[in-house]
Formats: sequence, structure tokens, C-alpha cells
Amino acid sequence: MNNSAKVRKKVLAASSKSTIERSWLARIAACPHILWSVLFIIAPLMFVAYFAFTDSAGNFTFENITNLTNYGETFMLSVFFSLIATVVCIIIGYPLAYFIARLKPRKQKLFILLLMLPMWISLLIRTYSLMALLDNGGIISTFLVSLGFEKLSFIGTGGAVILGMVYDYLPYMVLPIYTTISKIDVRCIEAAADLGCNGWQTVKNVVFPLSVPGIISGVTMVFVPSISTFYISQKLGGGAFDLIGDTIERQFQNKLTYHTGAAISLVMMILILISLAVMNRFSDNDGGEIIV
Amino acid sequence: MEKNLLIELKNITKAFDGEPVLRGINLDIHDKEFITLLGPSGCGKTTTLRIIGGFEDPDSGDVFFDGKRINDVPSYKRNVNTVFQRYALFPHLNVFENIAFGLRLKKRPDREIAEKVKEMLKLVNLKGFERRSVSTLSGGQQQRVAIARALINDPEILLLDEPLGALDLKLRKDMQNELKNIQQKTGITFIYVTHDQEEALSMSDTVVVMNNGEILQIGTPQDIYNEPVNAFVADFIGESNLIFGTMLEDYKVRFSGHIFDCLDKGFEPNESVDVVVRPEDVDIVAPEKGMLCGTVSNVTFMGVHYEIIVDINNYKWMIQTTDYCGEGEKIGLYIEPDAIHVMKKSEYSDMVGDYSSYSEEHEHLSDIVEEDD
Repeated sequence: MNNSAKVRKKVLAASSKSTIERSWLARIAACPHILWSVLFIIAPLMFVAYFAFTDSAGNFTFENITNLTNYGETFMLSVFFSLIATVVCIIIGYPLAYFIARLKPRKQKLFILLLMLPMWISLLIRTYSLMALLDNGGIISTFLVSLGFEKLSFIGTGGAVILGMVYDYLPYMVLPIYTTISKIDVRCIEAAADLGCNGWQTVKNVVFPLSVPGIISGVTMVFVPSISTFYISQKLGGGAFDLIGDTIERQFQNKLTYHTGAAISLVMMILILISLAVMNRFSDNDGGEIIV
Repeated sequence: MEKNLLIELKNITKAFDGEPVLRGINLDIHDKEFITLLGPSGCGKTTTLRIIGGFEDPDSGDVFFDGKRINDVPSYKRNVNTVFQRYALFPHLNVFENIAFGLRLKKRPDREIAEKVKEMLKLVNLKGFERRSVSTLSGGQQQRVAIARALINDPEILLLDEPLGALDLKLRKDMQNELKNIQQKTGITFIYVTHDQEEALSMSDTVVVMNNGEILQIGTPQDIYNEPVNAFVADFIGESNLIFGTMLEDYKVRFSGHIFDCLDKGFEPNESVDVVVRPEDVDIVAPEKGMLCGTVSNVTFMGVHYEIIVDINNYKWMIQTTDYCGEGEKIGLYIEPDAIHVMKKSEYSDMVGDYSSYSEEHEHLSDIVEEDD
């Protein structure tokens, strides 16, 4: 750590000579993306903010925001489903990531490839294929019927929606956790054994605390898309659940009430930003003295 | 003074990917001993240490601890602690929690832990560092934390794997003294791995010289330096002039065209031998009074002494002397009988040359970056 700090200082010193030319070049290099951001990220965000605080006549109003209390239940349900999906992803993903990280390098690559494979297929197709499994006349149902159970459909249950979220986003949990675990110094793990940790205690006292940053980024990458999804809940929820993503989509697609939709989007964005900030703080502290 | 036998290694072999690393290691380690495994990179010293620590299994052979075979005992159950090469401190814990780690596992009461950590910090001269994050410590300080973290568990044996390798020269010297003091204060057996022969000589009770997966010599630092068993040990430990010679009879050896009196015996008449003469044991005299005679080809000022290279019959000798000689000067060499050490021929006899490539060798050595083997 000390060394890397020194190296960084040296690099800084060496680069300061040509800083001027480089920053000039760097600015030009950044231009395309800046243009892109302005057109497709910043401008739309301004529109969202504009619609959220205006009525259909274009007058400034807080009404859209205050009306959001009507959607409290939808918010709660979305948070609830996404939280459960995230927790399930951690429970399944962490052991898997740990398992992969402890394999030999060549096998690690194979397993990561297998893990990434579903991500090359469109999310829509993946969700449709889940429907084929869970549906009334679907594979699972047919199988159960052949065993003598009654014909049943899983579509329209909360479980199916959560399953869909887990199924679609699990790789995003495994990858960052795998990366942090595989970067843990082997000697730290040996040191834990040396000081008296058996396998389980090593995981509990050393591997897990050191992989918290991976869990945090995994949580962000699963929770954020889960809470804003509309497709999964529509297809697998069978219309029984109205999640926040569905509500927003409906505002824009069917009702053409941009103002309410924009208000919901804005509030949700702010909520997500706040929760991310809280989590980041949490993970920063963890590098230091949280245990004390 | 015979002490209790603590560790016995019996015929240990180990190979990585079919490449033999240890070829039949037999070693006894006694209680309260400071023993150093010394050898060049790749000689198997670290592997030997890791086998004692339980981080590697030997392919064959047995490890005994207090007379009990411990081959199948996992490292967390061995009463042995390790100071790792790059310290391996836990980055998510502060200094206090790093040191307290072992005691926390044993579920000792908080009060006892606090007391013992304090005691350890005092022992390693880090009072008041409890709350510091380990990433803010210098290399030397991290090293001390690593030592404290290991010692707090009251191990019977402390394994140290090139613990000072990453420190600069001055800090290394200070830490050598400190480690030696700690070892004497605590009475814990230290098994120390290094490639630095000076470190080995100055710290150890016993030095084990290894090369190519074998133990070449076990002895006190004095034994190893004064009575090396073969050309490799003589060359690896300190500076030495290695000359081919012939043992004419007991106490008489001929080399460089002169017959010398010596203190060695027990060789066949006219047996070919390797002779070692340490550079500091040669006296410079007037050419006509010398047993050998040569021309000074190179003089280097080293601070305390001069290092001069003398060409004797086209064989370059190194001599360390406080008397100045000019380059090109003709000088005589006088060698006392006890300055001559005669060794049996070995597989290493041909690998060692004279000092003709001395300066290049020096530069080459300073380029080598040691990695663990």
C-alpha cells in the first residue's frame, strides 16, 4: 500500500511535465461523449424535471409530486420485491462467486463464461422462456400433472416475478463478488489459517469482510434494475402486480400523462441516488475501522 | 547444551508439477533455537518452511512435532505461527484488531486481549498505534505488526519467511537486532528463511545451507564460515578464494605451486581437493618474503579496508587489507596454517571460479530481485 502510494507520486511527478499537452488531448478525446451526454442524458433529464414540475398548461406546480402519495403502495411493493430478489441473489450468488474464485484459473474462466452466456441473450427472450416454464400448460406444470398434481400456473404469483428478477440479474451479482474475492491476497487467507481459523472462520473473518465492496456493487447492479423493471412484472406477474416501472410505463404509453410519469421517475431516481450514497459510505468505512 | 528436540523432518520430498523442489530433507530443530534456512532463490527453503507451517504437504517423508507425526494436522491446528514475506496483514482491520485476531478466535475475554495487545505493541516498539489503519504504516511498522500478531498466540515456533526482504538496508539492520532481542526475550524457537548470508550469520544459532532442494551443511555461523563442507558453501557464505589443490599428506597441502602447512587431515595421499582461503586471512608481505607472489590488478576502497585483486599465476585472488597497495605493484602473500581450509571435491568444485570477473559479478548481483521459491 505504501509502495503503491509512492509509485503514484512518482507517476504524478513524471506526468506533470507533459500535463498541459495531455489535458488538451484528453479534452478533445472527451468531446464525442460530452456531446452524447448532453443530447441523450442531460437534456432528457431536464425534460423529466420540467414535466415533473409543470401541469398540462405548462404552469409551475408541485401537484404532480404531492399526488405521488397515491402510488405509495406501488412503491412499497416494488421495493419489497426488489429487496427479496437482491437478497436471494446474494444467497445464491455469493457461494457461487466464492466457489469460482477458489478454482484453478483455467476453470475460473470456463465458469465465468458459462455465467455470462445467458447475458448474451436478450432479456426479453429470457423472460419469455421463463413464461414457457411457469405457465399453465408450461413444462413444470405438465410435469406436476404427470405426477398426479392438479394443473396449475405460477404466472401471476409474486414468486414468479421475484424468480424472474433473480434469473435475469443473478450474473450481475456474481461477477463483482467473484472479482473482489479473486483479488484477495492468498497470503491473507494463509495468515488466517496460520492464526487458527478453520475454513468457515476464514470465510467469516477475512474473505467476507474483504469482499463487502463486491457485494455492494452487486447489490446496486441487481437492486436498481429490479426496482425499475416493468417487463418482468408484466409477463411473469400476469398483470396481478403493479410495480413502479409498470406505472411509469403506463403513464407514458397509455394515458399520455407525462407529468405524473416524470414525477414518479424523478422521485425514484432521487431515492436510488440516496440509497447508493448510503451504501457507498458504508463500504468506505469498511476499509477502516468499522469492526472496532 | 543439548536442548529438547522440537521439530524433526524425516526424508521430506516435494515436487511442483513434476519439478523436484525438495530431495530428501532431514532436519532436527531444537527448543529455543534460532535456526536459519539459507540458500539462493529456488533452493527449497521457503517450501521447507511452508511444510512446517502446514501450508504444503510433503510428497513423502514425515514431519514430527514434539515426537508426534503432524503430516495430517492442518495449519490452523498447529502451534506454529508465521510472519509472511509481505506481512499479509488484514487490510480491513486496524492494528489492534490485526494483533488481537488470534485471541479473538480463541474467544478470550476483551480485557485479557487488550492487555496482551498492549504488551505486544510494547515488545515491537509500536506503543500508541492501536487505532491506526494498517495501510497507513510504513514497511517496517507493518512488519512489526505482523510479528506481534504472530507472537501474541504464544506459539512454540515462529516461522519467518524472508521477513526483512522488502525493507531498506538500514531498517533491515535495526530489525535484525530487534528480532534477535525478541527471540531471546521470549525464548520462542525461530525458524528463519533468508537468502542474505550476512543476516543468517549475524542472527542465527544454527544455519542450514540449502541448494537445489538439498541440505548441504548444518552448523553454527562460525562452523559454516570457517569450515564450509564444499565449494558451494564456501562461495555462498562470504568472500572466499577457492583454489584447486592436492593434499600431499596430513597437514600438508599444495596449491598455486607452493606447499603449505595446514590443520586438515584425513585425506588420501595426493588426493585432489578444494582449498578455501578467506580474503581477510591473507597477510601482505614483501615479494621476496611471500609464500606466493603476484601483481595487484585492481584496488577498491571499501571504507574499513581495501579490497585488492591479485593476479597469481593467472589466477585472481581477493585480499582484504587495511594496507594500501598500488595497482601494478608486486606483492608477496603470507598465509598462516589456520587460514587454510581444505575440502573434499564435490559436484560444485567446477562451478566456482576466481575473481577475474569480480566487478561484473558485483553489478550482476545487485540486479537480482529476489522472489520467493
